Amino acid sequence: MPDSITTTPAAELLHSADAAVDIARKAGAQDAWASVSRDRSINYAFRDGKIEKVEESTSRGLGISLYVDGRYSSHSTTDLRPDRLKSFITEAVALTRALQPDPHRKIPDPALFADRPTLDLERLDPTVAAVTREQREAWCAEMDARAHADKRVISAESGLFSGQSLGASASSNGFSGTWEGGYLGFSCTATVREGEDKRPEGSAVAVGRFLAGLPEPGKVADKALRHAVERLGSTKGPTIRATMVVDPEAAVSLIARALGPASAAAIQQGRSYWAGKIGQPLLGDRLTITDDPLIPRGLGSRHFDGEGISAKRIPIVENGVVRNLYVDTYYGRKLGMAPTTGSSSNRVVALGDKNLTELLAEAGSGIYVTSWLGGNSDPTTGDFSLGLRGHLIENGKVGAPIGEMNVTGNLPALYKSLVALGNDPYPYSSLRAPTLVFENVQFSGT
Amino acid sequence: MHPLITTRRAFVRGTASGIALLGAAGPGLLGGCNRSAASHTMIPGDQAHLSEHLGFFSVDEPTITRVMAELTARGADAADLYFQHSRDNSITMEDGIISRASSSVDQGVGLRVVVGDQTGYAFTEDLSLESMLGAARTAASIAHGSKAVAPIAYEHGKRSNFYALKQPWSEVGVARKLPRIEHLNALARAADPAVDKVSVSWADGEELVVIVDMHGKIHTDMRPMTRIWCSVTAKKNGVTQANSANLAGRHGFEWYTDERLAFVANEAVKRTMILFEARRPPAGELPVVLAAGASGILLHEAIGHGMEADFNRKGTSIYASMLGKKVAPDFVTIVDDATQPGERGALNVDDEGNATEKTVLVDHGVMASYLHDSISARHYGRKSTGSGRRESFRHAPLARMRSTYMENGPHTREEIIASVKKGIIAETFTNGQVQIGAGDFTFYIKNGWLIEDGKITAPIKDINIIGNGPEALRNVTMVGNDTKLDFGGWTCGKDGQSVPVSQGMPTTLVSKMTVGGENA
Repeated sequence: MPDSITTTPAAELLHSADAAVDIARKAGAQDAWASVSRDRSINYAFRDGKIEKVEESTSRGLGISLYVDGRYSSHSTTDLRPDRLKSFITEAVALTRALQPDPHRKIPDPALFADRPTLDLERLDPTVAAVTREQREAWCAEMDARAHADKRVISAESGLFSGQSLGASASSNGFSGTWEGGYLGFSCTATVREGEDKRPEGSAVAVGRFLAGLPEPGKVADKALRHAVERLGSTKGPTIRATMVVDPEAAVSLIARALGPASAAAIQQGRSYWAGKIGQPLLGDRLTITDDPLIPRGLGSRHFDGEGISAKRIPIVENGVVRNLYVDTYYGRKLGMAPTTGSSSNRVVALGDKNLTELLAEAGSGIYVTSWLGGNSDPTTGDFSLGLRGHLIENGKVGAPIGEMNVTGNLPALYKSLVALGNDPYPYSSLRAPTLVFENVQFSGT
Repeated sequence: MHPLITTRRAFVRGTASGIALLGAAGPGLLGGCNRSAASHTMIPGDQAHLSEHLGFFSVDEPTITRVMAELTARGADAADLYFQHSRDNSITMEDGIISRASSSVDQGVGLRVVVGDQTGYAFTEDLSLESMLGAARTAASIAHGSKAVAPIAYEHGKRSNFYALKQPWSEVGVARKLPRIEHLNALARAADPAVDKVSVSWADGEELVVIVDMHGKIHTDMRPMTRIWCSVTAKKNGVTQANSANLAGRHGFEWYTDERLAFVANEAVKRTMILFEARRPPAGELPVVLAAGASGILLHEAIGHGMEADFNRKGTSIYASMLGKKVAPDFVTIVDDATQPGERGALNVDDEGNATEKTVLVDHGVMASYLHDSISARHYGRKSTGSGRRESFRHAPLARMRSTYMENGPHTREEIIASVKKGIIAETFTNGQVQIGAGDFTFYIKNGWLIEDGKITAPIKDINIIGNGPEALRNVTMVGNDTKLDFGGWTCGKDGQSVPVSQGMPTTLVSKMTVGGENA
């Protein structure tokens, strides 16, 4: 298949976005914002000695937001044939007229487009696109062999996924921008036999914008197998209040959960425990999180956000005190707040100075959580309850595996009991979280 | 439109293996189909001739024959083309204003080659012959044999009709929807003086699919989907609480009667107001009464995913060696059913063109059948259960659930509650998850009740339940005679693909599960 990503220049996409804005204006929209993108992805799944699935595709799409007589709507299509596109946008403008005027709805202020950073974010590794089919299969085979290194393994799935994207946005009030990006990742899941019926599994993943810096694929498989074997003999732990040490990978979602309602949209709709907390302590006194879009090779790095707002570092929480919220144009107007950005980029958690071994030794006893299973939280109150698996902490070391347990509490109260952070951020997420240690946490088990 | 969307999709794929998620999809997650105002290109109706269906995608029989020849040029045990055109509309009312509307059109073809249990897959949104041939060559590269015979004649397969609409969504203009949204908003606002904010989300749409296999069989289906969602925030004595309710199914505009809108408004407000009095139950192992309806989430997680044949074929499911074995009491019969009219999980034909059915998973306590797609059906030498489903033309089909529920048992709700000394009732849910191999599953209770000495004594909220599938089945001690499907919409995620599902349950007692909670 011809690789349209590399053969389509960004300028061509920008021209398509401009053309779409033009059609909207001619159809009667006062303002419009269009984005056009091309994405190419390749996914390999390899199981037990052979390729199981190969998926390859090149995808395209156009999205357009319309501001018509004080009314607003947004639309997307993958049917880009010129005649179809023209009638799609013209109809969309007509549809918008049938809605109700909304005084808060305005196209993003062009002043926010100024001072766009220019540093090289290194979002695209040219060597990723050049990886051959043979190389992909060889990496998968290497992971597969390593994942089968234990005779208790029933089955193992090794995956290799990569992609690249190219996009452009244009608006009727002067925004114009393009982006490119890519990623490559290795994943592995090993399933081991335990007794007659149980088949515990372990997984591992590594993903990045650049191939350099990723571990060898075999190491990812080693980790998956180690995680699976560590589950053998897992039992239900006790119902206790105890210290909870959370692994960096599991800490990513625990922090994302706390940050979920930190937006003007959630606050304006009355669904956020962050309401009225700017300048106030909310998450204890040890947590510091910065939204940083300007990290070279960062998975969430960008020069501008979806509203064209130029990227800058934004402190969200400093020592537990709320400094900023995610504020977009619309909900910002409703709340009378200046827009920051409506969506997160890289969320960077300030690190502590100890490693996991030291933190476990300090904890002495408790529960070490390696992953969550299900659970949820209420964004309005912060109440949460999560399923977990992990290990007992015995004599300051990782002890017997436990599972089928829940941890329950309230997010602001939980973060008040945060006593230490590790120096070991999880590298394969746009949210960079280290090991977290909480005291006096309620667990449910036997 | 942000470039990271694709990356995120890949992350899910990279990490979610063996773990399946279920969620009460928010308004933005609705799978399905829709359409903008009134378009010039009408989707062909149920009775339309095959050439009209093909013509909609600007293809004809000779074109399909050429693409199929390319797709099977290196041999295939099975190969198919999956043409799909989806149109989705959504409208949101917040703060008394229709604050936004959106529409989307998604169209393309997915091309699949299967050799044994190996799959090659590619898709293209560009339906030109050149693009389709390119995608066919990509998908075919999985095979290393000699070419298969491409079909020369096509036969349009018959199918059931579990979701016929009086009027397709493409003919319902936005002007007819707005008064329904405003009416629901007004009902919710008026329901309690503590109601501070109401938002209403509406979604509707339809998708046309045309599935062509390598033997010349063509199946077509037109699948409608709609949902209305009511979210409420209330304030009382300085405390804020929020909750929601929704109605969903493969229905048309006429489904939104005054009665149904009143029901969903009342349900959303009731679920919100009770939170002011609700607390956490004690932490630890407790008997759990599953209320009739949405509690089918337990079946979906505890057994449904583990019975999807792909996990068993690969030996990674805890149920891989349990077929024919007694796993639950005699009064437990669990089915997965594509034939419930108007349900999100209803399917006239599956996404591989196979006929759908009501599949019995557990028959009077005995493990009866897996859910098969065509790959596992060939592997096990049996007929497909019509369970091959895919999120869209961008994905290869997998064995998936449809509407999963338990049949009626011998007990009544009253005697079940009266039998519990100290336990909880689980009533509304937000999401669940399972580890296929270990069998551990969870579901999150948004609203429920505490039972003390056989009586309901207090509302509870926000707790996770965790259990082990085979153990939970063994611990089903009573099953009520009041089975029903949940009225709300559910979306199931597996291997990075989301599909609409339904679930149901009679009032059921599980004697012991681990309940999240707080002890003094």
